Amino acid sequence: MKQRTWSLVILIAVLVISGCSSSPTADPLSSNKKITLTLWYWNRSIDDQLLQKAKEQFPNIHLVTQKIGGDFKSKLKTTMAAKSGEPDIVALNDWIMELFPSQDRFYDLYEFGAAEVKDQYLDWKWQQGVTPDGQMIGFPMDTGPTALFYREDLFKEAGLPTDPEEVHKQMSTWDDYRQAGLTLKEAFNGKVFMYDNIENVYNEIISQSDKKYFTPEGDFIGDSNETIREAWDMSVAFHKDGLIANADHWTPEWNAGVNKGKIASFVGAVWMKQPLQEAAPDTAGKWRVTRAPGGDGNVGGSFMAIPKSSEHPKEAFEVIKWLQNPENQLTMFKTTNLFPSTPSAYDSDTIREGEPFFGGQATGEVFAESARNVQISFFGERYPAVHGVMTRWLNNIANLDPATAFDEAMQRVERELKR
Amino acid sequence: MPVPPKRQLAKEIWKNRAVYTAISPFYLLFAVFGLFPIGFSLYLAFHKWDGIGEMTFNGFNNSSYMLTDPEFWQAVGNTFMIWIYSTIPMLFFALIVAFLLHAPFIRFKTFFRIGFFLPNVTSIVAVSIIFAALFANNYGILNYVMGVFNLPLVAWLDVPWGIKAALSSMVIWRWTGYNAVIYLAGLQSIPTTLYEAAKIDGATGIQSFFRITIPLLRPVILFTVITSTIGGMQLFTEPQILLGNNGGTGGAGMTIVLYLYRESFINNYFGYGATVGWGMFLIIALFSFINWKIVQGPSSK
Repeated sequence: MKQRTWSLVILIAVLVISGCSSSPTADPLSSNKKITLTLWYWNRSIDDQLLQKAKEQFPNIHLVTQKIGGDFKSKLKTTMAAKSGEPDIVALNDWIMELFPSQDRFYDLYEFGAAEVKDQYLDWKWQQGVTPDGQMIGFPMDTGPTALFYREDLFKEAGLPTDPEEVHKQMSTWDDYRQAGLTLKEAFNGKVFMYDNIENVYNEIISQSDKKYFTPEGDFIGDSNETIREAWDMSVAFHKDGLIANADHWTPEWNAGVNKGKIASFVGAVWMKQPLQEAAPDTAGKWRVTRAPGGDGNVGGSFMAIPKSSEHPKEAFEVIKWLQNPENQLTMFKTTNLFPSTPSAYDSDTIREGEPFFGGQATGEVFAESARNVQISFFGERYPAVHGVMTRWLNNIANLDPATAFDEAMQRVERELKR
Repeated sequence: MPVPPKRQLAKEIWKNRAVYTAISPFYLLFAVFGLFPIGFSLYLAFHKWDGIGEMTFNGFNNSSYMLTDPEFWQAVGNTFMIWIYSTIPMLFFALIVAFLLHAPFIRFKTFFRIGFFLPNVTSIVAVSIIFAALFANNYGILNYVMGVFNLPLVAWLDVPWGIKAALSSMVIWRWTGYNAVIYLAGLQSIPTTLYEAAKIDGATGIQSFFRITIPLLRPVILFTVITSTIGGMQLFTEPQILLGNNGGTGGAGMTIVLYLYRESFINNYFGYGATVGWGMFLIIALFSFINWKIVQGPSSK
């Protein structure tokens, strides 16, 4: 008797444990000829309602959507390393270039006729999903065009122009912007800062350039092209002039800084609108947006890919193509604030709607114009590692001599490249 | 009893198969989730791997990179500094708290015991967020209080010592109660007759504390030193939430595990991450051994 009870317990335990690992394909509902596709995304990367609509749109596909929380990249990597349980469709963030060396683990989307819809998308965005070998692994999702966010009232008090057009005219270069920053600093006796943090100066200048750290052939050009040095020097100049509030993004410091009027402006991607509105409710109506000094850039934005393990890549591609078509991208702009990578959406009324937080200004127009003008540029798979080294040294500029800091960072990058 | 030859051993196992089956889950789970990862990480430590692509043999390149990387040594130094700043005050406070809890004149003992232990079961993430608000440079509570008393403000999270102070205070806050409870258990096991005898002999309270309490508590102190060494060397969540993946300004809050995490999961050097893991294992083993030797002292020989 006793033994039987124990065997039963063990049997149940085994069933429970194995039950955890059974795949969603075992769903009895899908047994009728329907193919099953699993889609991985993170919260707010795709509109949930649109995914529901996709299920109606493709009656022959059993679409299993899985919202992956936590460290998405690590979870994807470990799943791919295990070569088991990979999704059929996966959203990739702006770290897509890290996957380029593993391009053979993904389908070339050109195989399924991606080229046919190429002209519906921003060219520079499209190129970011294509590996140096010309294989397209990432299909464009949203983008992150950048612009200058500024406080109209603080600019007015400091005697700076306030109209978006005029602000852009006076602050069209980073150097002009820095001069305006000095004016503002003087007007407020150093109590208000022109910019949020040093890393954001550096990031934004790099994002505007057509050259980053590498050529598509894989050569390191961070030491030879002027962009990097200029971005570094400008960041240091902002720091030395005392124009920076030292408030890092996603910290209570930043939230308090924008809400209490300590930060008068910053350059940021379109998705910064949301954290700004959430952090600074007391300043509603006082912010404006204009084209960024130094040109238009892009920060962030995502892609969709099909891992090679998928058994139905054709159908998976059809789902991707539908989800990210111009019409649906516009829907996702409305519902989830994802900025389209399809220029045809930029003329719609939704994008040109005024926003009360920005004093009724239609900021979408500014970002749309910015998105159209982003330079095509190549990142390279080691961009995140190298950029990480540079920003680490830049953040420590207060404790280092700026001139030697750059050389030190370059030496560290050199070591990084030999790894 | 002589050791039975192989066949007899197998027979013996078969005879007791029910018992072996009953204890097998632990060994199976350990093999899958303990032994295999340990072995695999050792294998990985000699390879170059980005997590998805081909694994290529890298020989001792990982370890030589680690040994020559200033950032690694900075992380080791930081970890030790934070360990010293936190463990010594923590164990000291814990001993005082335990001593007070043990004193006969304290009332509501259970309430205090639970109260002191409570920080240990709160979520580290939540604690880190609260401490971030405490130590924030411009709008931090600490700076607000200092402003009220007209003291000069400190940009806590911009200067190396401020960062270390913030991290250490988190560790102290979280672990003092835990260690106090352990010390309390140790104190309760010391027979009161010893104190009575000492009192009759005319010993003062301080004398009996140093001559009776401390020597008899030595094994317990040793235990807390070893566990806090291991815990301190593995500091990760606190700096990660408080300062981000780069350990704050100038990497002043970069600990060994945070470095390991950044190099493997942010920069995708998984083989290198495994090497750092093994390096950390050696450091902890060596350091625990030294601590053990020091705390055990010469008298126990």
